[in-house]
Amino acid sequence: MSFREKCAWISFVLLLLLIVGFAAAGHVEGAGFHYFLTLLLAFALLQVLLRLIIRWQAPKDARTPKDEREQLIDLKAARIGFYSLVAGVLLAMLAVHVHGNPWSGLHTMMLAVLVAWAIKFASEIVYYRRGR
Amino acid sequence: MVPPQITITNTIRKLRFEHGEMTQQDLAERVGVTRQTINAIELGKYSPSLEVAFRIAAAFGVRLENVFSYEGGSQSQ
Repeated sequence: MSFREKCAWISFVLLLLLIVGFAAAGHVEGAGFHYFLTLLLAFALLQVLLRLIIRWQAPKDARTPKDEREQLIDLKAARIGFYSLVAGVLLAMLAVHVHGNPWSGLHTMMLAVLVAWAIKFASEIVYYRRGR
Repeated sequence: MVPPQITITNTIRKLRFEHGEMTQQDLAERVGVTRQTINAIELGKYSPSLEVAFRIAAAFGVRLENVFSYEGGSQSQ
């Protein structure tokens, strides 16, 4: 598995955990701004830590710039992520319209951003597995 | 009209064998791509750009048509 595929896996798994934490906020007693901030900080710290570990395992791969196939995979995955984000934002707007609560809309929009991001990394993994 | 399906084949595995069992990593370093990309090209999963195709041919010291060939589609001229 290449260095960049490992990075995609790390981001994907951590994003799934972040999404679960974010979606579960409604069931956590007193989950407010600090809860989200803690989640985001833990996400960022784990990303940095795990990427440092795999960089340490394969320093040569980590230093090599993305080649044309990896750039293409990145672009194709970003396109899928973009359309997922658009769909999510439209759903969030619909949620505001139906519930009449802007906070639920904001919550859905944040969730849409995270899900779109996860879909982008999932697409990257699929493309790396397929070879293109 | 749907364009005819073109299958691009390559002789990279054979050329690597003929060049002292050159590893995919060695070839990747000479070409300036990752080992995974060389593997994808070799297996026919990914068609490289002309630039990379020429660099692969140059790494073996052969002409482009000795590395890549295509089957199907019209070969006009």
